[in-house]
Amino acid sequence: MTAQRVAVLRDLLEFVGIEGERLNLVWVSSAEGPRFANEMTEFTEKIRSLGPLNWNYQWAVPDSELRAANPSK
Amino acid sequence: MYHAIKERVTELLSTGEVKGFLALKKDNGHIKPHLYVSPDEIDQLSIGDGETAGDARYPLTKILTMLLQNHSGEPFGILARGCDQRALRALAAWNQISLEQVVVIGVACSEELARACNCGLPYPDEWLEGEQIEPKDPRPVEWEAKSPLQRLDLWRAEFEKCIKCYGCRNICPMCFCKECSLESEDVVTKGEIPPDLPMFHLVRALHMIGRCVDCGLCEEACPASIPLRALYKKVNDIVETRFQFRAGIEQTEQSPLHKIAEPPAAI
Ligand code: SF4
Ligand code: SF4
Ligand code: SF4
Repeated sequence: MTAQRVAVLRDLLEFVGIEGERLNLVWVSSAEGPRFANEMTEFTEKIRSLGPLNWNYQWAVPDSELRAANPSK
Repeated sequence: MYHAIKERVTELLSTGEVKGFLALKKDNGHIKPHLYVSPDEIDQLSIGDGETAGDARYPLTKILTMLLQNHSGEPFGILARGCDQRALRALAAWNQISLEQVVVIGVACSEELARACNCGLPYPDEWLEGEQIEPKDPRPVEWEAKSPLQRLDLWRAEFEKCIKCYGCRNICPMCFCKECSLESEDVVTKGEIPPDLPMFHLVRALHMIGRCVDCGLCEEACPASIPLRALYKKVNDIVETRFQFRAGIEQTEQSPLHKIAEPPAAI
């Protein structure tokens, strides 16, 4: 179930404009120290390469034309 | 007006088939929810006259859930549109109500209302008033057409308007949890508005997986006019694409995501 839920969340993140790769799911047992370290290093590197979220208001128009698709507002 | 409905409700009440009938009532020009307990009041029954979403509906199924939980085993009737019917079915799947206790009287929505609601299924299983209107595309297509960068900016601007009134949660027929994550300080910082971005809205969206019945009440209730419907429509679309599941439509079970897998045979 967790794997499916994470997949749904990843789709949802993409929908709000956040890269799905920012979410990672791996199973590591307590006996797999080096694997854990590897996963963490790789993921940290990936996030670093993606950089901070690009929230720059370039497109933001509050009460945007999107509301036009919803005449009740 | 609504002769057929009034007649049927009168019959249900006078034969004692139901203990009460939950519908709307026109009172001093206003429409409000009302529990009819005797046929004498039937003249005031309203199905909600508005043509646009917002003046025609109330979360009747939410009220019914409370009623049924306080009167276990007793039968009640309810006036149900397409969205109410979906909510009833989904609530039963989640063991919040027992459908055996419920008599449904259906109304199919007008074209104006269906358009205003952006509705994916504007009629219940059976109805006494109204006509069958073709449903609209249930996906938030206008948002999907934007680039990810545009969506990120637009959603941020929308989420930032949130005053954390919890109106969206409170009105939602499918928000029935006794303890709500949106009140947990691990997820949402106390005393701050706007609430943590985008956590507050995404947590609720994620909790609507396999539960949202696409009624649009949350968006109508939102004082900040945040297009919440688009967010939950997307959740529904993801669940439908991945699991062929639409809450409250035909399915009388919980979504595949909510089922605990069968344990292996040999334990
Ligand atoms: S959401 Fe659909 S079924 Fe419900 S009132 Fe609107 S049009 Fe009718
Ligand atoms: S549309 Fe909104 S109020 Fe209706 S079920 Fe979905 S989340 Fe709840
Ligand atoms: S109804 Fe709107 S303003 Fe209120 S908590 Fe929900 S999203 Fe925020």
